[in-house]
Amino acid sequence: MEEEKYIQFEAYLEQNLNEEELEAFEHKLKTDSDFNEGFQTYKSLNQFLDHKFKNEDASEAFKNNLEGISNAYFNKDEASNKKQKPFNFYKYAVAACVVALLGFFVFNQFSTPAYSDFNNYNAISLTVRGENDALLKTAETAFNNKDFAKAEDTFSALIKLDATNAEYKLYSAISNLELNNFKTAEALLNDVKSGHSVYKNKAIWFLGLSKLKQEDYKSCLNILKTIPEGAEDYKRAQKLINKLD
Amino acid sequence: MGEKKNHEDQKYINGLLQNNSFIIQAIYDKFVPKVVNYIKQNSGSVHQAQDVVQDTLITIFNQASAKNLQLTCPFDAYFFLLCKCKWLNELKKSSNKEVTINEEVLSKNDDAHELAFETSVFGEKQVLFAEMFAKLGDACKDLLKATFKTKSMEDVAKNLGVTYAYARKKKSLCIGKLTELVRSSPKFNQIKM
Repeated sequence: MEEEKYIQFEAYLEQNLNEEELEAFEHKLKTDSDFNEGFQTYKSLNQFLDHKFKNEDASEAFKNNLEGISNAYFNKDEASNKKQKPFNFYKYAVAACVVALLGFFVFNQFSTPAYSDFNNYNAISLTVRGENDALLKTAETAFNNKDFAKAEDTFSALIKLDATNAEYKLYSAISNLELNNFKTAEALLNDVKSGHSVYKNKAIWFLGLSKLKQEDYKSCLNILKTIPEGAEDYKRAQKLINKLD
Repeated sequence: MGEKKNHEDQKYINGLLQNNSFIIQAIYDKFVPKVVNYIKQNSGSVHQAQDVVQDTLITIFNQASAKNLQLTCPFDAYFFLLCKCKWLNELKKSSNKEVTINEEVLSKNDDAHELAFETSVFGEKQVLFAEMFAKLGDACKDLLKATFKTKSMEDVAKNLGVTYAYARKKKSLCIGKLTELVRSSPKFNQIKM
């Protein structure tokens, strides 16, 4: 019975049924749902097999080509993911360098300047004069070694011996400045400033630095602006003014 | 679906059908990244995404060559829905839940959903049919293969050393056997025919 059914299905699809058989077959399709369902499946399978075997070569060619493209695509993806790590590291390293450099410049450009940015003195040499050689030597050595307490003591002693010496007063003032004795330092610097020595403008510069060290930026600015254009420290003063302004 | 005009993206369907490497590559470049992302975000791996994409393209190829697939919506939407649906089914299978196909993903009634649903059902049927064909005995397999590959039944009969009448009868009985295997498969009722 079942066998007969499938032979009928095949005959119907092959259009090998006579008129009478055809009518009976189509009637059964309409009235017998199980028969109908069986037939639809049979028909689908027939199409499936027809397509499967007739297109086997094309289908195989497509699958192979697809697999090649797919593998290339996903391997490239993986490869580029792997490559990205060192690349990222490199990128981050460059970025870090740029940030560091930028930071360096920005810091120099925009950070509030500090006294320590400017308190770099050249080594002094005082022992050419002949008089008070021992004291001068001590003062010079102490100052150059940044032993400002000892330098201050010695310069004070020297000032007592030579009260008009602007140079002693200047270095004494600088030593006091380093020791944070601002009042003493500024008194000495004002003294030099109001005199007519070659240290006059130097004194103004250090007065400015004294204010800077005390973080009195407004006074610092006002003092620095009084340094005349020809002075040794004029350029440095202008830089500092720009940063403070 | 009536007389709807083909979408311009029909070129992708035609390209697949012609096994056009340029078009296939374009599909990978343009549409696959979205699918990979989706699968990765939904507990899948890149490797699984690769399989889903490949299977989906084979299904589209098969439907295009067997059923003259006409695209009436953007390829992007159609392709993504198909891959998504395939992946959700994979997830359901691996979590041992009953496989209910497409319902949630493909129930919306627009062209892309409708078309993706059709293709999805087509694909499921193909897989089931292929599985059941593999279960047939060798005699049936060989006969069916010979029958569909060779145009004339006379040649088939001659090649197999049987009579023409027997070959014809045998063909229908083999497809009949296959029909029974398919209809008795639990999967069959889950696929909307």
